[in-house]
Amino acid sequence: MLGLSYRSSTFTQTLIEKYAYRSRTLATLRNIPLQNQFVNAYDVIILGGGVAGAALAASLVSSPLMKAKKIALVEAMDLSRVQQWTPTSGQYSNRVVSLTPASRTFLEDIGVWDRLFIDRIRPYTNMQVWDGISDARIEFDTSIFSKTHQNVSEPPAIAYMAENVNLQYGIMKRIRAAQESGQQFDIIDNTKVQRVFAQGKDGEKEDAIDLSAWPSLELSNGQTISGQLLIGADGANSPVRAYADIQSLGWDYDRQGVVATLQLDPATQNVTAWQRFLPTGPIAILPLDHGISSMVWTTTPAIAAALKSIPEQDFCALVNVAIRSNPADVQYLCQQIQKSEHGLDLQDEYSWRQMAQNESKTSEEIASREDRLPPHVIGVQSGTRASFPLRLRNSERYVADRIALVGDAAHTIHPLAGQGLNQGLRDVQVLSNVLTNGVKHGEDLGNIHLLSQYASNRYARNLVMLSACDKIHRLYSTEFGPMVWARSLGLRGVNAFGYLKSEIMKYAMGIEDVKSKITPSRERFVNIDRL
Amino acid sequence: MVAALGETTGAGQLERLRNKMLASSSGRRILRTRPTLSTETIDLNYLRSLSPATFGNKYVSWLDAAGVSPDTRTAVHYVDDPELAYVMRRYRETHDFFHTLTDLPVTVPAEVALKWFEWVQTGLPMTGLSAVFGPLRLNSQERQLLRQSLIPWAVQCGSTCQDLMCVEWEKMWEWELSRVREELGIWPAPNNFEESSRVEA
Ligand SMILES: Cc1cc2nc3c(=O)[nH]c(=O)nc-3n(C[C@H](O)[C@H](O)[C@H](O)COP(=O)(O)OP(=O)(O)OC[C@H]3O[C@@H](n4cnc5c(N)ncnc54)[C@H](O)[C@@H]3O)c2cc1C
Repeated sequence: MLGLSYRSSTFTQTLIEKYAYRSRTLATLRNIPLQNQFVNAYDVIILGGGVAGAALAASLVSSPLMKAKKIALVEAMDLSRVQQWTPTSGQYSNRVVSLTPASRTFLEDIGVWDRLFIDRIRPYTNMQVWDGISDARIEFDTSIFSKTHQNVSEPPAIAYMAENVNLQYGIMKRIRAAQESGQQFDIIDNTKVQRVFAQGKDGEKEDAIDLSAWPSLELSNGQTISGQLLIGADGANSPVRAYADIQSLGWDYDRQGVVATLQLDPATQNVTAWQRFLPTGPIAILPLDHGISSMVWTTTPAIAAALKSIPEQDFCALVNVAIRSNPADVQYLCQQIQKSEHGLDLQDEYSWRQMAQNESKTSEEIASREDRLPPHVIGVQSGTRASFPLRLRNSERYVADRIALVGDAAHTIHPLAGQGLNQGLRDVQVLSNVLTNGVKHGEDLGNIHLLSQYASNRYARNLVMLSACDKIHRLYSTEFGPMVWARSLGLRGVNAFGYLKSEIMKYAMGIEDVKSKITPSRERFVNIDRL
Repeated sequence: MVAALGETTGAGQLERLRNKMLASSSGRRILRTRPTLSTETIDLNYLRSLSPATFGNKYVSWLDAAGVSPDTRTAVHYVDDPELAYVMRRYRETHDFFHTLTDLPVTVPAEVALKWFEWVQTGLPMTGLSAVFGPLRLNSQERQLLRQSLIPWAVQCGSTCQDLMCVEWEKMWEWELSRVREELGIWPAPNNFEESSRVEA
């Protein structure tokens, strides 16, 4: 409504000046496409072409309302490599995420899901989490949904394992399609942002638009670009966040997440996500394909360094130890591998401990124990061992004038519940809805009042998830008897109590916040949500 | 509820001992080879032939003086897991070495002191029980001795010395006793009580 009236040319310059920041977008100001006026000015600049930033771009361009907007995505890395990605079957990247059904729906909505290499995406319907000290276990299986509710035929997936590069690939393809159908969208990749700053008052002052309050980026290619709205999707060390002088609160976990792509015994089915809590942190084995899984092992920096450098065979033996052996054994062997000459045959140590553990068990007992453990690790794909520092961070604010933060730039979480990117995609979904609504009502996309709708929707939810994962980390970092007892009792209690379990499961599957005002509720969820 | 508690604490005590052994190289060697101590595996005559200052000779002299043999120990029942049963057995079989190391004779106060020492070392509940209830059989003088010097020694020495479940005693017969003590961080108990009330080992 407002937007329409501003488009008429009868408005005086004073009025335009007065409302410039509040009520309309640059491109519609005088009905002249933005790029013709200011080559380097954009309605929206997204800094960071990681999954969060790229998904935001795809989400914006998938709305017809954004057609007239000029958008740029700036990324330091070469995104053409992502676009030309040709996966080799049986080989998987070590950077993978577990995507919730909510994230899948969102990716479907923005036209990304169908553009992925779908056979490389692995749903799982069963998840087992157990305590390394007490062996208390909780098992999530979505077949309880299909058993108790006729309207769900197949057990729904708890989550989908996907490679980050696959997601980026599908997203870039989506953006290309939008470009081809006329969307003004600049991909400025291979380009590092050297500096984020506010334009001085002198610059383009004589023009109709005062760019002085617009955030600007000094690029490594020598150019400078400015945006009415700058979105920081620039990861944990966000330059945008630093520019906006937003504090990032939290701490480092003195832990690293060691990742690797594992080859598993092909004789055993690979359909379950496994996670065992050890005193140093959890180790997770997540299915990617038949006989292939992704590992995330949270451990101390010293052990992480050793895990990356020992021979592949030793590494595999140690992963088997970490999944199957007594925590004291895990700890001892992890200490030994830090020495240059430990003189141990890790495979032999592993076999001995398995023998000792099974000595008094009948063959049925041994078989039933095996049923509750992931397949044996028989190899690691070479070059896939890597590690990442783990931290907990939440920005004190997600928005400032002409600034919004999404994904890891806004918050970083312990990966034990596989929620980091899922949260990031929720940010993207909500922010993109807020912006499209803003366009519909002719609002200034950089306006803090508009952006605050995004922040108020996401801030508390992210904080709850962040602190829940932090509490779990703390709870399981102890070997103190009564604590182990209490947490085991809790885990067993929840495991035995179906209703509570399905509630937790729904929360982890991202089915929690579909009722929110800004996110339109989706048919697909409604089914499960009513369960 | 009780079962859950048992899993993490009760049977847990033996498991804790085993886990401590798993955390050391020598402890792991012992668990792997499960050496036993009996007249079949120890050549007592060889020990007698060693120089009097050696650990082996001191040990056999103590056996002879106390009139006991490495074979006079109750077998381990009620522990299903063979490894844990072995840990229990090892614990019992190595008990006599503590007498040699600590210079504690086979008297009631000395045994009580040794129980305290073992309790601090291992945390095993049955050792704890006898350490607490043992003093019922003592006279007031013995009780005072325990309270004032033996128990403080036992707590101090038991908590700071090496983990004795991880010691490969069989490798040390020829070492001088003083060297063994030094290696393990053990010093003799205060030696100021009468040898009046002898008990069976
Ligand atoms: C071991 C591990 C396991 C994980 N498992 C899961 C999981 O199972 N599920 C899940 O949901 N999440 C998981 N996560 C979290 C998830 O990987 C992250 O949340 C997600 O990748 C963050 O994406 P992002 O786009 O916000 O940030 P990033 O991927 O960090 O992207 C930031 C981008 O900004 C660019 N950039 C930064 N500065 C500049 C600059 N100055 N100029 C130009 N470009 C710049 C960078 O090049 C980068 O591409 C895991 C994380 C780890 C470490």
